[in-house]
Amino acid sequence: MTASILDSVEESKYKKVTDLNPQEEIAPGSALCAGCGGLEGMRLAMKVLGEDTLICNAAGCFTLISVYPFTPLKGSWLYTSMSGPVPAAQGARDALDIRMAKHGLDQKENMQVMVVAGDGATYDMGLSPTSAAIHRNLDFIYFCYDNEAYGNTGFQQSGSSPLGSYTMTSPSTLDHPAGSERSKKDLFGIWMAHNPPYLATVSPREPIDLSNKFKKAKDMKGPRLFICLSPCPTGWGFDPKETHLIAKLAVDTGIFPIKEFVNGKVIHTKRPRKRLPVEKYLERQKRFKHLFEPERRDDIIAQIQNNVDTYWEQYDE
Amino acid sequence: MLRIRLHGRGGQGIKTASQILGTAAHLAGFQAQDFPLYGAERRGAPITAYARVSKNIVLERGAIAQPDILLIGDETLLSDPLASVTEGTESSTLIFINSRHPSPDLKKHYQLESLPVQLDISGLCQKYIQKPMILSTALAAVGVRLMGHIGLHHLLKAIRDELGQERLSADQLANNLKLAEEAFQKVPSFDLEFRKFDDGFSASHLVVLERRPPVDSVPVIFATGNMALRKTGNWRTHRPVIHYEECNGCAICYARCPEGDIRMDANEKPVIDYDHCKGCLICATECPKHAIEIIREVASWN
Ligand SMILES: Cc1ncc(C[n+]2csc(CCOP(=O)(O)OP(=O)(O)O)c2C)c(N)n1
Ligand code: SF4
Ligand code: SF4
Ligand code: SF4
Ligand SMILES: [Mg+2]
Repeated sequence: MTASILDSVEESKYKKVTDLNPQEEIAPGSALCAGCGGLEGMRLAMKVLGEDTLICNAAGCFTLISVYPFTPLKGSWLYTSMSGPVPAAQGARDALDIRMAKHGLDQKENMQVMVVAGDGATYDMGLSPTSAAIHRNLDFIYFCYDNEAYGNTGFQQSGSSPLGSYTMTSPSTLDHPAGSERSKKDLFGIWMAHNPPYLATVSPREPIDLSNKFKKAKDMKGPRLFICLSPCPTGWGFDPKETHLIAKLAVDTGIFPIKEFVNGKVIHTKRPRKRLPVEKYLERQKRFKHLFEPERRDDIIAQIQNNVDTYWEQYDE
Repeated sequence: MLRIRLHGRGGQGIKTASQILGTAAHLAGFQAQDFPLYGAERRGAPITAYARVSKNIVLERGAIAQPDILLIGDETLLSDPLASVTEGTESSTLIFINSRHPSPDLKKHYQLESLPVQLDISGLCQKYIQKPMILSTALAAVGVRLMGHIGLHHLLKAIRDELGQERLSADQLANNLKLAEEAFQKVPSFDLEFRKFDDGFSASHLVVLERRPPVDSVPVIFATGNMALRKTGNWRTHRPVIHYEECNGCAICYARCPEGDIRMDANEKPVIDYDHCKGCLICATECPKHAIEIIREVASWN
């Protein structure tokens, strides 16, 4: 495992934050919340991908990135319904290919097609079209900013909302003290089962790891898929200035494993040396407050810890 | 009918203020309608809410273009042309501004047609609930009082009804009630006359939209990167200030700012774009040298 981390560092382009592309590909002025973790993830990704990117966006918070008559991008942005971004990406890819092959569009005008979608669109509504597109080997990048609920409509539970979290549709009640009683779908596992050429999780707190992964994916063909855990001050209930702290705790507690799947193998690219207890992550967010007040729910916290430990047992050396 | 329009920023309780207003009017025996306009905007972005109060059934729907009362919770909006706060006002419109500046100064500075009603409700909010920009209770109290016709007890009951659902503690609720009472007492009542023309519903008010081809309704943007024209700098309640003598140029703040509002200059020092910085304060939190100070943003002008 350690050897493979070294390997990937050796071939990487980015080693320190000053290696990042100084050009901002997303102009400021968007209506996203101050301190949005997902925006930071996408900003870093766009620094690698550059302006020749055609984005197909599923309705969600990030639809506010480009609101008529304003866009922060130099490339194109196509807005779709929640289940529609991948079919849109197929259409855009086909149109570019056909125009280059038959209608004299210069190769230099070619664009990287990328889907930008939230977890509701990704884990739930758009799962089936994405499955079909990966199966067809569609040449595209998928960037899922995962804020673990339907954020734009007021934070309802999605297939990505974690066990024990409060959402508008999974409040903590006498009958259902945990709030959300289901664990997140294992989207990484679902996508991995399709055997795509590239699949990775990324965190806005790890700009070097994120940039190297996008760099690697940029030069590949076929479906290249990303899940970006996106701390959301508004929905998760923490001060915007703590976005990176929350993102870091998600990694350090082992709740969010940073990994990639390439050549049939899963590699953890940022492995926490000693995992912190999950409550270090939970206790800072209002959506988990009911696990600590009015009385501590050790049973639910232990269940969350147990899920994390069980995950990592598979990979312990 | 009386039409009330409320302006503030996401997260300041503007929607709740309109709900309290509507509920208070309802409790006082009026027909009432209240709703926020959901642009899909986020905390910090300008938002608008509306209330209609009438002796008869309220048939009118949609945004209020010509308000009788305009309640401005966040003064900085007046200098944001995109927020169009004063649009549709006439010299007879009663304008309230949450501000520390005296009314004549406000009239002059913002070129208003008439003298606005002024009260520093942020100061009151700070005093009672220690949150200067959670305006729901105070702004509703001001609106109810200006309008007249509605008693304090109806206002207080409305606050209990509306805030009760927001899981406030008994203490917090009690403080909100005290806050409402003081805000209510501090502004004059105008006992506004209800406009007559709402009594019948006239077909001449119907606007029939002509049929257009779908392409007319598909928004297409041809400009690139023009989002920067939107200055999000006035979302800020606190300002990050870099002390260059402490800064070692590590560029962590630049890497971590989600907005891309920090760039490294030719001397490898960070420079903040205050026109757009939303004041999340991530940079100040993440700076390993603690070289970024946080200062309170003052009002939009001094
Ligand atoms: C097919 C469809 N259903 C419902 C909606 C309404 N809608 C718009 S945004 C949204 C929430 C999206 O959640 P998510 O994908 O997690 O993105 P987030 O808002 O959290 O960024 C919903 C339900 C829609 N646009 N399209
Ligand atoms: S609600 Fe959360 S994900 Fe959506 S824009 Fe705000 S911080 Fe970002
Ligand atoms: S306060 Fe936030 S938006 Fe402003 S410069 Fe710092 S990190 Fe960027
Ligand atoms: S993080 Fe602090 S020390 Fe580093 S460049 Fe920014 S201000 Fe300077
Ligand atoms: Mg979401």
